Amino acid sequence: MLSFILKRLLIIIPMALIVVSVTWGLIRIAPGNFYDSDKPLPPAIEANIKKKYGLDKPVWQQYLRTMGNITCRTMDADEKTENGVQFGLFGYQMKCLDFGDSLKYQGQSVNEIIARHLPYSATIGLLAYLLALIVGGTAGMIAALRQNSSFDYISMAIAMLGLSIPNFVLGPILVIGLALGIYLLPPARWGGASSLVLPVITLSAIYAAYIARLTRAGMLEIMRSDYIRTARAKGLSEWTVLLKHALRGGIIPVVSFTGPALAALLAGTVVVERVFSIPGLGNIFINAVLNRDDTLVIGIVAFLSILIMIFNLIVDISYGFLDPRIRYD
Amino acid sequence: MSIAGKFSPRFIVICVLAAMLQSGCTTEVTTRYFGLTSPPKDNIMRYVTGGEPESLDPPVSNSQPDSRIYIALFDGLVEYDPKTMEPIPALAENWDISKDGTEYLFHLRKNGRFSNGDPITANDFVYTLRRGFSPELASRNAYLGYYIKYSEAYTSGMSFVKGADGQFLLKRDFAENGATVPISEHDTLGGDSEFHRFLDSPERLYVPSDEKARNKMLDANPKLKAAIAGKELVPVKPEDIGVEAVDDYTLRIKLYQPAPYFLGVLCHQFFRVIPPKVVEQYGMDWSRAEHIVTSGAFKVAEHRPYDVLRVDRNPYYWDAANVHLDGIEFYPLDESTTMMNLYKAGRVDALYNHTVPAAWWEIIRQYKDEYLLQPEVATEFYVINVKRPPMDKVKVRQAFALAVDRDALALFRKTIKPLVDMTPEGIFPKYEEARKKVYTEELAKIGSTLEKWKARKFDGDEARKLMTEAGFPVVKSGDGWSCPSFPIDQVQITYNTAESNKAVAEFVQAQWKQNLGITITLQNMEFRTFLPLMNKVEYNGFARRGWVGDYMDPYTFLSLYYSQGNEGGTGWWDPKFDKMLDDANNTTDEMERYEKLARAEFYISQQQIIIPLATNGTSWMKKPYVKGMYPNPGTQTPWKFVYIEQDPAKWDSDVENIMETKDPIVEKQLADLKKSQEDYQNSKKEVTQAGQ
Repeated sequence: MLSFILKRLLIIIPMALIVVSVTWGLIRIAPGNFYDSDKPLPPAIEANIKKKYGLDKPVWQQYLRTMGNITCRTMDADEKTENGVQFGLFGYQMKCLDFGDSLKYQGQSVNEIIARHLPYSATIGLLAYLLALIVGGTAGMIAALRQNSSFDYISMAIAMLGLSIPNFVLGPILVIGLALGIYLLPPARWGGASSLVLPVITLSAIYAAYIARLTRAGMLEIMRSDYIRTARAKGLSEWTVLLKHALRGGIIPVVSFTGPALAALLAGTVVVERVFSIPGLGNIFINAVLNRDDTLVIGIVAFLSILIMIFNLIVDISYGFLDPRIRYD
Repeated sequence: MSIAGKFSPRFIVICVLAAMLQSGCTTEVTTRYFGLTSPPKDNIMRYVTGGEPESLDPPVSNSQPDSRIYIALFDGLVEYDPKTMEPIPALAENWDISKDGTEYLFHLRKNGRFSNGDPITANDFVYTLRRGFSPELASRNAYLGYYIKYSEAYTSGMSFVKGADGQFLLKRDFAENGATVPISEHDTLGGDSEFHRFLDSPERLYVPSDEKARNKMLDANPKLKAAIAGKELVPVKPEDIGVEAVDDYTLRIKLYQPAPYFLGVLCHQFFRVIPPKVVEQYGMDWSRAEHIVTSGAFKVAEHRPYDVLRVDRNPYYWDAANVHLDGIEFYPLDESTTMMNLYKAGRVDALYNHTVPAAWWEIIRQYKDEYLLQPEVATEFYVINVKRPPMDKVKVRQAFALAVDRDALALFRKTIKPLVDMTPEGIFPKYEEARKKVYTEELAKIGSTLEKWKARKFDGDEARKLMTEAGFPVVKSGDGWSCPSFPIDQVQITYNTAESNKAVAEFVQAQWKQNLGITITLQNMEFRTFLPLMNKVEYNGFARRGWVGDYMDPYTFLSLYYSQGNEGGTGWWDPKFDKMLDDANNTTDEMERYEKLARAEFYISQQQIIIPLATNGTSWMKKPYVKGMYPNPGTQTPWKFVYIEQDPAKWDSDVENIMETKDPIVEKQLADLKKSQEDYQNSKKEVTQAGQ
């Protein structure tokens, strides 16, 4: 088990570096620059900007510099930065995990921007997933237990609807009804619990629908298995069978779905954050790409890739607790 | 009988469809105001300004949204007039301008203070400008100040050339024919000084300090190369720039050539004063919310990026007594639908320009007390790559320009006015007056009239005639036209992806097909992919462009095509046009200068290097209780004039006439501010008269 975790953790490092390198390459290929605007710059000013950000150096030097900053490198004698993790090693001043300063937002480091905007996305994402788990899980379970009942049909029909309505449609519909029709809730912006209601519902809809269908399918399969029949034969009450034996196996599909879903939710969802103007990471990410804010794009991509790999690892580990048949050899 | 039985499903569907259809047709509004309308009780204005500000450091950003924030936070020598955007006194109480227009002497207020209580002096302005031009800061706005002597040389990393005799080489000795700018004799303002004598002496020659760049330049000019050989190069320093603190409260600015609009340029954020001590202490971090010290009517209270920038009244502001609002909350938002939702729900008090989505327009325009549509100092046009055939032929370009029905375009786009000129319509009334006179003269010379000239808004017959003359005959085919010999594969319309750009491109495409029988393909691109293509003139045929004036003078539109390597995006350059513009700027009489500019505009218009399409409209909303805020041509709001009116009887109504309506509070405030300069000028006149 321990060696499994260690192996997986170690693999994250080269994987993340590959992701960053590919991103770096794609950014270089993409035309345009962060300082371009519809007012063309005099060449001397453009040259000054390039010099300021080291864009006048050969490409390979820029690449090595970026990778050095992101991983670890010795600091230059005259280098003054508080970014990243700094420590002394054999008399050298080392610096690690420095994603640099944002190109667009002067004087703000990428690390700082991610740390500042992650909580917004994480709050909405976690709440939405919690809501989705409760609503979807309950609905799915009841639907499985009352298979082919009208509850089953109706809840699965609603789930189908939830899956097929994109959130950029659902969000505005909720806004028109609840925020502009009766002025009950704020239509956008962050601030107070009331502002969370609409984005959380919008975000959770598709996940609730998916979880409902996964739970139903998982539970249906488990409820027909031999060990459930054995448990019932032992004379256990239906509740004990359900909660102690069936549920653990029945929710495995939901758990494997949770890993990537949670990573995506925590990292921010572009559409919902834009519709509701939430200062989350998704909003920052899309703007970073549009602004050609290279350092910020690389930072967020690296952060997201690591986040997804860690969540996948957690999911893999949790299988073992849920299903004793799964081994990590 | 159950209800369901009584109303068959088909009946219900028909009812629903009918209801939808009806709501689709009737867009008449029933309420006076749009959504919730109640003034904020805490006297804090809530404003949507566009995207997240790049930085609170004024010279850094060049975007319009950010400039509105800088106006609240920083004060300059002069400030925008809230209606006309013309310069009015701010930290400069009054000023003198030398007769030849190259020297400005500003008398600063003695009570100017930063938000930490430190006094604002002329030295702070000197510091601000030297920093603004520094190559290390790499400000994208620096070019706005290039008229200040040696500023461009400093920003561009240039060096003076010093001979063995200690004498510096002079620019005039190496000027290419015709490019010399005569500087007339002028009166020295504010007394003599060694620095002033240096600035006043003939302009020194400068060459790039960087060896590679210098050699490239010298290779092209053997005469210069020979003259420089063996001479000492002295890098241009920040101290060489033409800004001088004559004393603590007198600032002198020296231009290398007259620029009559220069005073208006000084309203720009690039020239607004920043606190040297704080900047020195924190470096680039000085503009972060925890360190920033401001010079304007407001100071930063809280900054949560992508959420809110909250500014509070600055108690040390010299004019604090006349600031009405206790604070402003700037919300950075990108989605116009989200902005409109917030506005409707009464959670913001005003929006910025172009925020009303096309789909909402029919409804919104009926809110006569809130919807603001006025012409902008901004034009929309297609640039033409004049270097690639067949667009290198003037007649082809003219044919395309004539074949677009601009009135129909304006009807279709709704928030714009048709445009056939290089400068926007209805923004510079005095210039337009001069232009009318000049054009009448010029047109008479070529046997035409002003009426015919104005008819260029659309003339299909003339377009077909010109196209045929250019060697691409347009022939009748069926009900329409066709032009089989035109190489359609060499021409495209390229535009950056946006709903409005697409609509215009499709409209123009249809017009050309209908009127010339030529089908031009469309190509859309993401904004930052599109920009280098346009700026480096690497597109085929046409590219979409908009231009927002940097200051309130037609020159900001004409100078786009000034000098070789100009930023017009067309590949066109003509020294004759440059000379005409220089000549105009060397003229101090306002109307005479406008006439000269008009002649230049007439000259370049005949080349048809662009296809003018429209003057943009402001198109934004404010709640009726927000007063002192005007849809001026650049959507720049001097916030000290803005106030919130609690009494509904005094709210704004029929804002279509807001520019003519006189608000006694604003008028008085404006008159008081302007008085310091008016009095000063009158007193000077009296002195002169007494002297005579």
